[in-house]
Amino acid sequence: MRIRIHEEFCIGCRLCEIMCVVRHSQSGKILKAFREEHPRPLPKVRVEEEGYTSFALQCRHCEEAPCIENCMTGAMHREEGVVLCDEEKCVGCLMCVMSCPFGVIRRGSGRKVVSKCDLCGGKGVPFCVEYCPNEALTYE
Amino acid sequence: MNERRVRYLLVGFSVASWWAARSIREEDAEGQILAVSEDGELYSRPLITYALGRRIPGPAYWGDVVRDVTVLWGRKAVALEAKDQVVHLDSGERIAFDRALIATGSVPIVPPVEGKDLEGVFTFTKSRDLLQVERFLARYPVEEVLILGGGFIGLKTCEAFLGRGFRVTLVELAPRLLPAMLDVEGSGYLERALKRVGVRVITENTVASFVDRGGRLFGARLQSGEFLRADMAILAVGVRPNIDWLSSSGLLLGRGIVVDEHQETSVRGIFAAGDVAETRHFISGKRTVVAIWPEAVRQGKVAGKNMAGKEVRYPGSLPLNVIEIGGVSLVSCGVVNPPDDAFEVLSREEESRYRKFVILDGRLVGFVLVGDVEKAGLFVHLIRERFPLYSLKDKLLDERFGLVALPAEYRKYLVQGAGVEA
Repeated sequence: MRIRIHEEFCIGCRLCEIMCVVRHSQSGKILKAFREEHPRPLPKVRVEEEGYTSFALQCRHCEEAPCIENCMTGAMHREEGVVLCDEEKCVGCLMCVMSCPFGVIRRGSGRKVVSKCDLCGGKGVPFCVEYCPNEALTYE
Repeated sequence: MNERRVRYLLVGFSVASWWAARSIREEDAEGQILAVSEDGELYSRPLITYALGRRIPGPAYWGDVVRDVTVLWGRKAVALEAKDQVVHLDSGERIAFDRALIATGSVPIVPPVEGKDLEGVFTFTKSRDLLQVERFLARYPVEEVLILGGGFIGLKTCEAFLGRGFRVTLVELAPRLLPAMLDVEGSGYLERALKRVGVRVITENTVASFVDRGGRLFGARLQSGEFLRADMAILAVGVRPNIDWLSSSGLLLGRGIVVDEHQETSVRGIFAAGDVAETRHFISGKRTVVAIWPEAVRQGKVAGKNMAGKEVRYPGSLPLNVIEIGGVSLVSCGVVNPPDDAFEVLSREEESRYRKFVILDGRLVGFVLVGDVEKAGLFVHLIRERFPLYSLKDKLLDERFGLVALPAEYRKYLVQGAGVEA
């Protein structure tokens, strides 16, 4: 299963970004996540926009993933196909950021570089897909 | 005579060898793989500075390393007879092989400075060095640290000492820091960041002699005559390929072990990868040693495939480095100091951000980013793909530059690449 991007249908509403933050917040509730939780998690999906074009982009979980190869601690790894970063082992060296051809790995809070899509734990439909109002993201 | 014979021999067992072993196993599930390592255990070399900085407890590597490799730990290869396909170990053992990978990495360059062997003067490239430095720090009161060399290792070590609250002085012979990795402007941002966090930076100067008191380091006399107090000094003037043991091997040597596009040396069946290998530069095509983790991985993978009989070509080495000092990230890739007017340069300087792109024949060949580095991987991709820029060129300096800037068809092709299979 993977997330497919359909940019023709993206309306640039950024609901995916918001629901990604909610999904990765402590409370899992939108009001609490945005009002009370600090630091608020960064959205792991981001809408790129230029003129009339927009699309939501998150980790592609590449089959041959350069972020895993170039990770000098082994923090970046694969579990059942999903590329994940183990925060405990990450030293924030930024090599994964340098290696990602999509530019979707961000520095998280603190000095760690872990803000990347985890496919919502690999269980069920990821939030960005589920809450997309126009099927600009699908999970298939 | 103690002799054994293996299908695949890996001399050195660090990142290039790990990936070579994996590639071999993808093609050959049976052939025995034997590795020889000077180290006592598996660890990740660049992590020693992070361990020194207490960001992690130690330099352990947690990634997947092929399990069915037999590793002879704590053994050193002392000679290679290339034609006879035999390696001699310091233990007296001889190992005959069908295919060998030489991945013995690099060794620190020790400048011939008076007092370099004093207690308190160290090089810093291996876990052994980390242990010795930590032992020294535990035994003696250290306040002032002198780092000789404003290159990559010098700065990573500087970052670590800063994290532990030591006062650091950085001495560099060149007029600016990281002269090979950065351009003049980039070095300026780095130097200002260092000064903001309290590092004393001394350029166009070097250590003439280390001075002791009671046998232990007390300071350094600089070429300019100035005396610097120092309780500890790190020699970080550079590294060179670890090839001295190969002088009579029969392999063609340059600065490193000369390899072709299969990572094969001048003798068939013997390959080299990582810091020890002299490859071709991805942009210029000239022979070069690019001693960085990502190229060690790529070279190891190519070597492994070819060793196991599957032809794969290496596209060339692309310098790619990142350093972070005082919260400022600096990235450099490819050609950043263009040698002549054939190269076009686009750049934008702001107070805390800097972008520079170097273009040749309508294609991106290098860049420097300071501050905002999140999209660096996308620029690296454009360089590796030799992507024709056309109108993209006008967008490079835009800080919002992302995948959306690429032509729609290419972008769609890219995001649909092979992904997670359930």
